Amino acid sequence: MSKVKLTDVKKIYNGGVVAVHDFNLDIADKEFVVFVGPSGCGKSTTLRMIAGLEEISEGTIEIDGLVVNDLQPKDRDISMVFQNYALYPHMTVFENIAFPLRLRKTPNEEVFQKVKEVAEILGITEYLNRKPRALSGGQRQRVAIGRAMVRNPKVFLMDEPLSNLDAKLRNQMRAEIILLRKRIDTTFVYVTHDQTEAMTLGDRIVIMKDGYIKQVGTPDEVFDWPHNLFVAEFIGAPKMNTFKADLVREGDDYYVKAFGAKILVDGQKGDMLKEKHVENREVILGVRPEHVVLAKQGEGIDVTIQVNEMMGSELHLHTITTDGTQIIVRVPTVSLSHEERAKLTNGEMIRISFEGKVMHLFDPESENNILI
Amino acid sequence: MSIKTNHVNLFEDISDLDYLGLTKFQSLLYNIIHFFKAIPSWLINLFKQIGKIIAKFFNSIVSDIKDIGTTFVHGDFKTKISYFVMGFGSIARGQIFRGILFFLFEVIFIVYMVTTGGYWLSKYPTLGTVSSGRQYDAKLDTYVTVPGDDSFKCLFYGTITIIFIICFVYTWRTNIKQNKINEELIKNGHSLKHAKDDAKSLLDEEFHKTLLALPITGILLFTVFPILFMVLVAFTNYDGAHDGYSNLFTWVGLTNFNELFNINTGNSQLSLAFGEILSWTLIWAFFATFTNYFLGMFVAIMINKKGIKLKKFWRGVLVLTSAVPQFISLLYISKMFAANGLVNGMMLRLGIIKDLSQVIRFWETPTLARITVIVINIWIGIPYLMLITTGILMNIPEDLYESAKIDGANAVQQFFKITLPYMLFVTGPYLLTSFIGNINNFNVIYLLSTGGPINPKLLSSAGAAGDTDLLITWLFKITMGAESKYYLASVIGIMIFVVVSILSLIVYNVIPSTRNEEDYQ
Amino acid sequence: MAEKKHMGAKAKSRLSNTIIYIILVVMTIVWLIPFIFLVLESFRLETTHQVGYVIPKQWGFDNYIKLFTKTDFPIWFGNTFIIGLVVAIVQTIIVLSMSYTLSRLRFKGRKAMMNVMLVLGFFPGFLSMILLYKVLSWVGLTGSNSVPGLILVYVASSGMGYYVSKGFFDTISRSLDEAARIDGATRFQIFTKIIMPLSKPIVIYTILTAFMAPWGDFMFAKYIAHAASDGMNVAVGLQNMIGTQASLAANYTMFCAGGVIVAIPITILFMSLQKYYVEGVTGGAVKG
Repeated sequence: MSKVKLTDVKKIYNGGVVAVHDFNLDIADKEFVVFVGPSGCGKSTTLRMIAGLEEISEGTIEIDGLVVNDLQPKDRDISMVFQNYALYPHMTVFENIAFPLRLRKTPNEEVFQKVKEVAEILGITEYLNRKPRALSGGQRQRVAIGRAMVRNPKVFLMDEPLSNLDAKLRNQMRAEIILLRKRIDTTFVYVTHDQTEAMTLGDRIVIMKDGYIKQVGTPDEVFDWPHNLFVAEFIGAPKMNTFKADLVREGDDYYVKAFGAKILVDGQKGDMLKEKHVENREVILGVRPEHVVLAKQGEGIDVTIQVNEMMGSELHLHTITTDGTQIIVRVPTVSLSHEERAKLTNGEMIRISFEGKVMHLFDPESENNILI
Repeated sequence: MSIKTNHVNLFEDISDLDYLGLTKFQSLLYNIIHFFKAIPSWLINLFKQIGKIIAKFFNSIVSDIKDIGTTFVHGDFKTKISYFVMGFGSIARGQIFRGILFFLFEVIFIVYMVTTGGYWLSKYPTLGTVSSGRQYDAKLDTYVTVPGDDSFKCLFYGTITIIFIICFVYTWRTNIKQNKINEELIKNGHSLKHAKDDAKSLLDEEFHKTLLALPITGILLFTVFPILFMVLVAFTNYDGAHDGYSNLFTWVGLTNFNELFNINTGNSQLSLAFGEILSWTLIWAFFATFTNYFLGMFVAIMINKKGIKLKKFWRGVLVLTSAVPQFISLLYISKMFAANGLVNGMMLRLGIIKDLSQVIRFWETPTLARITVIVINIWIGIPYLMLITTGILMNIPEDLYESAKIDGANAVQQFFKITLPYMLFVTGPYLLTSFIGNINNFNVIYLLSTGGPINPKLLSSAGAAGDTDLLITWLFKITMGAESKYYLASVIGIMIFVVVSILSLIVYNVIPSTRNEEDYQ
Repeated sequence: MAEKKHMGAKAKSRLSNTIIYIILVVMTIVWLIPFIFLVLESFRLETTHQVGYVIPKQWGFDNYIKLFTKTDFPIWFGNTFIIGLVVAIVQTIIVLSMSYTLSRLRFKGRKAMMNVMLVLGFFPGFLSMILLYKVLSWVGLTGSNSVPGLILVYVASSGMGYYVSKGFFDTISRSLDEAARIDGATRFQIFTKIIMPLSKPIVIYTILTAFMAPWGDFMFAKYIAHAASDGMNVAVGLQNMIGTQASLAANYTMFCAGGVIVAIPITILFMSLQKYYVEGVTGGAVKG
């Protein structure tokens, strides 16, 4: 059992800068929670408060029901992986991993067994006698993980562990962390600025901005039901298209009017509007690029292609409407014929549209999702 | 070029963008104007800050006194007794060791004050009234020395007693605070820390106390207290004639400062000497710092240049010379340049000078002596500066130079546009410390010229001084001299402090180098 | 055309390199000459006066022998060596404690402490000597007993010279401390097991500079030893030896011999640890 509970946690730095505002979160046993957000959003600070590296200005943090505010990191039974690995340069890989055990005066035989076991899991047995500087970035990261694993902590904290790796290695390590997690089977708190990492790793994602939590939810929830414009734009790549539009009620049906087109809000979203008795109003409309489709002549919205990016399996079209709004469109290349592909070049005029059920509607003032 | 440019007035604050549009001359002018414009508000701010600190201090004393009162009223009997018997509360609550320390401190303090402290304190306002003298002793049928007061001891022990009293008050206050904290902890059901926990935390949370104990004790005893004491001496007439024992010294207020600044004394010798030596000290510090700096950088750049071979050798030779203890090179070179020294001897042999009447008197000619110490200081300083600048030069990213080359900069332009700004930026703080170091550069001056040649114009109540004397060597001579004018030495020491402080304040606060801290990182 | 220009650039760089070589050779000579002269003059027997030539007409070790038998030089050397040794050990401990604390530990009053020390540094260090001399003379640590007195004076305030080593400690990533704290280390264990093993260069630098400083100090040593020959260090002793015109004429070559004797061990020590010295100077000095 290793639950983590943060209640009204606040971090105020000397000089009054508030880095984290009233942070409330319950992390269940064996859950993998990811804190994600742009730099300076307070995600690392929150993690470091859990670790005990930053003082908690207000509120409480509990691990397994025990308030740990005044406990030293070593007494919290947590371990942590750092962005720059923080391996001890003068120690061999073996001694690096063994260090936490040595400090607890573990018998030598047990240290040897445990380090060996961890090294095997991580596939670094052959490097055990090397110094960290003789290792590649990926290997170093494994050692850092090994050092964190070796004493079976209640909570496993990771502070942007992959951001110092190159793109290919990052993908590989990401997959390994997923596998590792199944083996270690403990509570994870993971910090990243990369929404892809957050989406692929997390059971739940905490999206933060300027010290506030913007949304907490499973990857599906935050992707399909973003609570606000920030979350909508932060999750998903390329980012969601947003533009001003009018929401119009006609009897029991709701329509969105934008760029001269009028699109029916159907499916669940239409029903919800009805339940809420929403009247005619201005909204910010959000549509993900993958939900924008090419339309036939005479339908949809007129746009001009400014830039087309060939990504292999798909094409990203950066287009502009007649009134200057930019819209990104993702077109799978598989379904395109040769002639169709030839038409999607810079400067070409095309027509696009999107379905009512994929639209996200936000309040222009509060930027909150009007359906939630 | 006019001060009023086509679109901005340099006397007014202008936006960053407008600033960028100025020519070099205009922006320099702008900076100078605004440097001086900023001084009043900067001074006001400084005084405001000082005022705030003082206000804060008194506020905290007031709130402390309030707290002392409320703690007494609300405290239990253990706390109340602790007001009179320090450590009682701690012992009664189980913190035996801590309590005993508190109690012992109180006992020592009381014993000290009763036995000696009170006596010294009573002597403090006068620094002694009875000087020792000879008196007829009927029993021995001879004159014996009857010890009187010793002003030095009065000042010394009196100051210590005052410090001790302040320490006691602080400890007493801590003792009360401790009681309050403990009461609250017990009320909330926490257990108190014991000696064992305290000892443990000295290796962890409180590790800084362990590490700092020795260094700070040393600094307090050997720097802070002596400085405090010498500042006090500046307000007395302590010197060789008034050594405190055979002849008492006493408080004289601002007399010594008046003498130095020729206020109401009618005797301007001392202030003239001070002004002369101070200005030479600043001239010396300026040249010593910047000649070394630029020449050292120049040498480093030469050795660093691509295509120069034996880099390690050239550097090695220079570093080797800095390994030899400075006093050897300084003394030897000083003798080399003496009137009967090697340099003149060789010139005589080589026929550069005809006979002894033409000997170059390096150390006896005022201006020549000044130039010689600066030149020899270059010899001393270049190896060290070369080392420092080499390290920084190597840190300048190579691509800066590559892009400059592509933009069409030649070697000279590269130096002025890339190397120099980078160096100045990185070494800014070093230049300041180096300048201060040179103001106090005793060794180079004293071992080369001993401050000479003696300048009769500089003869004052402080004794003789020479043309190459710095404030620090003058101070040394004043103390070591026959009259040992300690009070004057203190006054000059304080003046050095004032000069250095002003310089540092300007460099740290007004010159806006800190604003671009991240530029080169 | 292109080739011609290319040649031009090459010739130009050759010319500038030649000029640089000339400057460097001249510099090397200028920088070495005093020491070569010093060594040569120390072997001169024909006269103890200063003369207009450097190559002795009569060579011999007499100056060295006289230095060790007729003067207090062995005592001065021994004094300085003992001072250097003790100062090297104690000062290193003090400086490293101070700089480590200020660099890597965070506690209330840290900034204020650094500011106070900065301001204290504005006072000339010599000022405090007037009091210290008096107090040391009360306890009998001046004159002939200068050695312990001088050690105290050098060591006691050495905590204020923390800048260079703090600069070094500042460059060690803070996440190492944090990782160690999470792994379960106390601050003390971080100090001994993590940071100290990584700090060999700065430890050696600190020891080296601490050991060398007393060899060059004149001001404090002179003040404390005053005229007591057996309490002097080499700097004061040798300066005293040639202090007046008469003694200069009588002792000049012996002074040279003394200079050589002092310079040799220090230079050898310095050169063998030069790597660390350069690292310390270039790494830390600039940050001031």
